[in-house]
Amino acid sequence: MSAITESVLLRLDDISLSFKGVKAITSISFAVKTGEICALIGPNGAGKSSLLNVINGVYQAQSGSVSYAGQTRRRMRPHQAAERGIARTFQNIALFKGMSVLDNVLTGRNLKRRSSWVEQMLRLGRAPREDDEQRRYAETIIEFLRIHPWRHVLVGKLSYGLQKRVELARALAAEPTLLLLDEPMAGMNAEEKTEMTQFIRDINREFGTTVVLIEHDIGVVMGLCDHVVVLDYGRKIGDGTPEQVRANPEVIAAYLGTRRSRAEAR
Amino acid sequence: MTQTLPQALLLQARTRGTKTALRYKRLGIWQARSWSEVATDVSRLAAALQQLGFSRGDDLLIISQARAEALLLALAAQWLGGSVTLLDPELDNRPLLVRLNPAFVLAEALDSVQQIRDIDQPPRVLLYLDGRGLNAGDDHGLSGYAELFTRIIADAPEPVTEAAATAFVFHPADGQPRPLSHGQLLEGARKLITRESLSAGEEALAARVFAASGQARYLLAPWLSAGFCLNFPEALATRDTDRRELGPTLVLGTRESYARLEHWARERLPLPGTLSHRLYRWAMAPDAQLFRRWIGYWLIRRPLLDVLGMSRLRVPLLVGPALSQESAAFFGALGIHPGSWQEPSVLREPAQAPAHLISHSV
Repeated sequence: MSAITESVLLRLDDISLSFKGVKAITSISFAVKTGEICALIGPNGAGKSSLLNVINGVYQAQSGSVSYAGQTRRRMRPHQAAERGIARTFQNIALFKGMSVLDNVLTGRNLKRRSSWVEQMLRLGRAPREDDEQRRYAETIIEFLRIHPWRHVLVGKLSYGLQKRVELARALAAEPTLLLLDEPMAGMNAEEKTEMTQFIRDINREFGTTVVLIEHDIGVVMGLCDHVVVLDYGRKIGDGTPEQVRANPEVIAAYLGTRRSRAEAR
Repeated sequence: MTQTLPQALLLQARTRGTKTALRYKRLGIWQARSWSEVATDVSRLAAALQQLGFSRGDDLLIISQARAEALLLALAAQWLGGSVTLLDPELDNRPLLVRLNPAFVLAEALDSVQQIRDIDQPPRVLLYLDGRGLNAGDDHGLSGYAELFTRIIADAPEPVTEAAATAFVFHPADGQPRPLSHGQLLEGARKLITRESLSAGEEALAARVFAASGQARYLLAPWLSAGFCLNFPEALATRDTDRRELGPTLVLGTRESYARLEHWARERLPLPGTLSHRLYRWAMAPDAQLFRRWIGYWLIRRPLLDVLGMSRLRVPLLVGPALSQESAAFFGALGIHPGSWQEPSVLREPAQAPAHLISHSV
């Protein structure tokens, strides 16, 4: 398992979010320790993706605060999140389909460049050395995720499972401290899921990256994660180890539909 | 005349030290090592192995795909008078490992290390090439190949000089271990070099595992004798791309590996009935007249050879059974006639050659 420390990397405190009066998230608080793999689970519409968007600044919470790496902020823009070491992948693949795998992964290195656009355009000063460094790191990630056979292939020509892996590679190329994965295994077959699970475990172990992921496959979640947070209708109904969550009656009720059935009966 | 493989290596380092001996791809970029660099690496590895207790008569077991590091460590073991046993990492080697009970092992990655861990008696030295995933398990006795270079405190001894010393031991599934001496390997290499007129200018591709006598006989020993460049693909999955980039002049393969390449090419041909397909058939027709051959070459055959990475191919070697009729016709139309090469010291019918003793290099 991953090397988890006692220090908290990410803390959400009383986060609430609503869209035009519709409450998506209600008073959610939880903490993610450095080095752990944390899963956000829950039925569709539970607010998982919204919460991920709050963490990396795509949405601004109406109340509550997000503490990341010791700093507490009410608001954090996506570019600030990226600069501070938060990278993410998306539920629907968001790659540059007309670019090669290598070029897509290299875009993940943009924030690591220090040379100016003039230097880059004219290949002067720091630009050539930086190009080599970026390429080397991108290639390291490409090899790590075993996508080197498709290095020069246009992303649009790859299978869905491989595209998911390229998206993960692009996020990893940014050398994130915290990696947010929105349904990294959605639409994959069993073999691809096994591979992706292993890759996430390896990323956590080899790079020490803290991972927060959304996943619907409970088998995968229980086998991969150190910490599980369960959401339902925008509320947190469970928070603990996979064993604790599995034994939580409220979680069982939410997943088996008992509570909803009761409400509907009333 | 050199008697052993390490002596042949030293001779190459003396006579063409700055020429490229090895080329391999790391992180998408081709890296080259000259003969003098390879000789230095091997002697340093020999010193490191000796410090780990490896000595004359010991055997180094290697479970790896064709990788430059595995080759260098094999030569280092042979330098010290030891032998090398090569196993295919894609096979389940556990029954054989239980029988061999190896003391010195180089395992490529986690899967291979796991096979070693499954045997009761752990080896004295277990080295690995790729450490991914290994830090999670019980790592006692494990050390990385790269660490070998940091531990050297003394020079390596003089390399082995006895031609009769065993260089490789192969373990057929159906029989007794087959040792191959330095003398046998070099004698076979000289015959091959003479027959195929191999020179130092060849570019050979080692695309598959070394775990086959064919690789040792027809690729490694001739490499050291003739002094050509041996190229390693980045991975098995990238061998077709890497062959295209390299354009080797020497390849070694079996009927199956040539058939795989033929199938790979046929899958990419234009659909039957189309004008392009008719043009392809016209260009590939055997026994065509000179003009038709010339046009067909520039329009179809040369581009196809480029795609296959065979446009510079001069010596296509075939080990084991002959090509199927379709494969022979396909490659024949491209001007490639893989030469069947009988193993020089052990006479056997090609059809009887066990598949696991033959590498699939093409």
